[in-house]
Amino acid sequence: MLKLVALLMGVCVCQPPQSVVRLSVAEAAAEVDRLFERSWQSAGVQPAERSSDEEFVRRLYLDLAGRIPAVSEVRQFLGDDRPDKRYELVDSLLDSPAFVRHFTILWRNALLPEAFNDLSSRQLLPGFEAWLWTQFSSGVPYDRMVRDLLTVRVDAGGADGVPALRTASSPAAFYAIRELRPENLAAGTSRAFLGVRLDCAQCHDHPFDRWKQGQFWSLAAFYSGFTPLDQAVRMQSAAGERRDSRTISIPDKGQTVEAAFLEGESPDWSSPRSAREVLADWVTSAKNPWFSRMAANRVWALFMGQGIVHPVDDFSENNPASHPEVLQLLADQLVAHEFDLKFLVRTITATRVYQLSSRQTDVSQSDPLHFARAAVRGLTPEQLFDSLAEATGYYQPYRSDNPFVISAETPRGTFLELFRDEGDSPLQKETTILQALAMMNGEFVDAATSLENSQTLGGLVEFPLMTDEERLETLFLAALSRRPLQSERVAMLQYVQQSEAAGVALADVFWALLNSSEFMLNH
Amino acid sequence: MTMQRISRRRLSGLSLLGASLSGWLPRLAAQVQQSGQRPGRSCILLWMSGGPSQMETFDPHPGHENGGPTKSIETSVPGIRIAEHLPKLASQMQDLALIRSMTTKEGDHTRATYYLRTGYLPQGPLTYPALGSLVGRALQVEGADLPACISINPFRALSPAAFTAGFLGPAWSPLVVASDTNADGDVSFQVRNLKSAARLSGGQVDERLRLLGVLEQSFLADRPDAPGRSHLQSYERAVRMMRSESVEAFQLEQEDEVLREAYGRNPFGQGCLLARRLVERGVPFVEVSLSGLAGEAGPGWDTHADNFKAVGDLCGVLDPAWSTLLTDLRQRGLLENTLVIWMGEFGRTPKINDNSGRDHWPGSWSAVLGGGGIRGGQVWGSVSEDGMEVRENPVRVPDLMATICRALGLDPAATNLSSIGRPIPLADHGAVAIEQLLV
Repeated sequence: MLKLVALLMGVCVCQPPQSVVRLSVAEAAAEVDRLFERSWQSAGVQPAERSSDEEFVRRLYLDLAGRIPAVSEVRQFLGDDRPDKRYELVDSLLDSPAFVRHFTILWRNALLPEAFNDLSSRQLLPGFEAWLWTQFSSGVPYDRMVRDLLTVRVDAGGADGVPALRTASSPAAFYAIRELRPENLAAGTSRAFLGVRLDCAQCHDHPFDRWKQGQFWSLAAFYSGFTPLDQAVRMQSAAGERRDSRTISIPDKGQTVEAAFLEGESPDWSSPRSAREVLADWVTSAKNPWFSRMAANRVWALFMGQGIVHPVDDFSENNPASHPEVLQLLADQLVAHEFDLKFLVRTITATRVYQLSSRQTDVSQSDPLHFARAAVRGLTPEQLFDSLAEATGYYQPYRSDNPFVISAETPRGTFLELFRDEGDSPLQKETTILQALAMMNGEFVDAATSLENSQTLGGLVEFPLMTDEERLETLFLAALSRRPLQSERVAMLQYVQQSEAAGVALADVFWALLNSSEFMLNH
Repeated sequence: MTMQRISRRRLSGLSLLGASLSGWLPRLAAQVQQSGQRPGRSCILLWMSGGPSQMETFDPHPGHENGGPTKSIETSVPGIRIAEHLPKLASQMQDLALIRSMTTKEGDHTRATYYLRTGYLPQGPLTYPALGSLVGRALQVEGADLPACISINPFRALSPAAFTAGFLGPAWSPLVVASDTNADGDVSFQVRNLKSAARLSGGQVDERLRLLGVLEQSFLADRPDAPGRSHLQSYERAVRMMRSESVEAFQLEQEDEVLREAYGRNPFGQGCLLARRLVERGVPFVEVSLSGLAGEAGPGWDTHADNFKAVGDLCGVLDPAWSTLLTDLRQRGLLENTLVIWMGEFGRTPKINDNSGRDHWPGSWSAVLGGGGIRGGQVWGSVSEDGMEVRENPVRVPDLMATICRALGLDPAATNLSSIGRPIPLADHGAVAIEQLLV
């Protein structure tokens, strides 16, 4: 099997996993950079410049805290002259509740991509998010988190199955959204944790890949103890689980298959474990190369806009990795550091690659496969609203009993709904007309850019000791986390000074800042 | 991977970024053209949220116990009879083709709505585009002022994914228009946020756009990536729409009072009138949802109880609106290029339940096509005496989709590239268009 995997990844298996040397963050980041520098050289790519502090601080806050930095946070970072201030900032953000909140949203999107498709799925989200929150806030290692998810007791509680799942802090939504169907659970497990798309093999042998229908159903057999939700409802029975079930019949074929792992290996059934426990032990094993590589690829994509294998969950012979050695290195180090996701985050954010500017200085930087320039990425709806709130000084009221339940009636709820994205790649983020109209003319941005209602703007205009130039600079820092360029300073100041009411003109500037691509994207 | 999408974006992006970027918005505002587009082919979908009863609409079974009290009436086409609740439509039968043999296995609102509106069963993380986005994208004219797909009063909560552009991307997602009914019962429509705040002068709005242009120039000049280009393009389209004369389509008060009355003074009736005004201005796809009598959001046709009164009342709204729409389109020479579809996500149980209601029934039910591309005045398919099963010419959802495509002049096998790089045909593999229904 190792040979097969090596073929797949295009790397040699000279080092079995146990001989991997545990590297420090600095060592691992330097090794990643060395590999990239070599690949840029051989491809004739001229990488972009290093990001400025202004560029970096905004990107890092968006990536770790899920929002842009406050004016005071930007000023503090720019004024800090310690040489290692970038790493210090990573550490302090990784310890913040904002990181837990942001990672909860990112991993909810990754693990439940179908969650927003219907009303009953949406109702399951708060419980799932609460569970993720616990994982990230207590620093549970990734392998244990996934093992919990794969082995959690799914008590459907009653004929319609749903109410019990709705309220508990539990990963059970992973099962309920897949309607407790063995085939959906097998496809979901394989995609989310192994990066293998077996979906096509459900109905027939995969047309381009090597997966056979029998292999798909062998994986589904681990979930064969469940009664699918709709059947349970029809039979008016509780959707209990037969935990020792390990065979399943392929629909319309009349053929029954035994549970077996992806490559066809038969599990060891000698110890008294349920089928799902056996599966979970194999999936999350340090020796399972699919598992660590998928995790490393996912985390890389969260910070770089796209995976080293792209799409992030499509490892296959027809879709080779752009930088297989980097991926292997990160996967090995993830295992060597006991599946500590924060180690990966520290390593990736410490690389030169992550810290490049998004400004294109050479045409060879235009292909995202080279990672030779920071990607320009769409924001999640949550990142966008929380950044708007930060920039405009809007205080967000949370429901005290569950901060994850966002009423659709609030400005936040309205925004999240309007900016919810069906797309899968932040590099291909698209804006709709309705989104543009809401930003230009909608109530929320309008209030934020009116002198009477905006915290940021109102305070700024009334504060007596500032010049218009200082006010302009503060607005730029609030929205774009940077000072204006000379050309912008001239154009904007001229507009403010020529107008009859400087306050109204500053509001117009603030409106333009909030509507700019620079504000609405991560870069 | 997604070559088609990328190259499309590259092209539009280049044209936007090619000329001097600063001042692009004011320049655009000056360039807004007078509306004078020649309408091409269009499609109007009348969407019946909740699943309408075939027995009380287009396939009545008087005399059988499953038929209930519903009587049938003659139509303008000898031999075709429909339910008594639709007398005005009965006189338009020459332009309608009834399909009485729709059949699926999906009896759940969420899945069935998705199936009928996209032509594909929900599967995995790939979201298929709704019919409106597919058709809108295929038929949109370059440089149009109005979006390609407009959805009037949709009720989306039970199946949100069925109302998106899916893998086609948000550029093709429907523009949602909601109705407003004032205290006097007057119905009006508006696109949310289409107007700048009242306190802003026109000159101030122009200045804001000019300042935005300054910022876009400094950022996008060195970052020619897809998200920034899409942002710029959507702002251009939004501003074009804000300033376009085509948005007068929403000013229903420009219409003759008698005509407004004929459509019915309710959100669905006036929505059908709006649909005509949009089609007239070249919008390729408009859908009008009939979710509740007064435009309330809900699965109005989900008549588990008191079916006969509820469906009768809904038909009281449907009949004048739809029949006036056909007459109006015909009088303006638009009907031969406008396909009108009537459907919901499934039908209702032939057997009447203990609450005088009918439950979900995907096995044998009705849908209707009419107008452009359709040979009217006929019935396709039939069900058994008791209505419980399809007897002749079963029509599956992909077949219906293929027929719709053909009526609009589109090849059902034409593909779009999905986000995972797989080509997806407009109608699912194996779809067969019903030739007998096509002109």
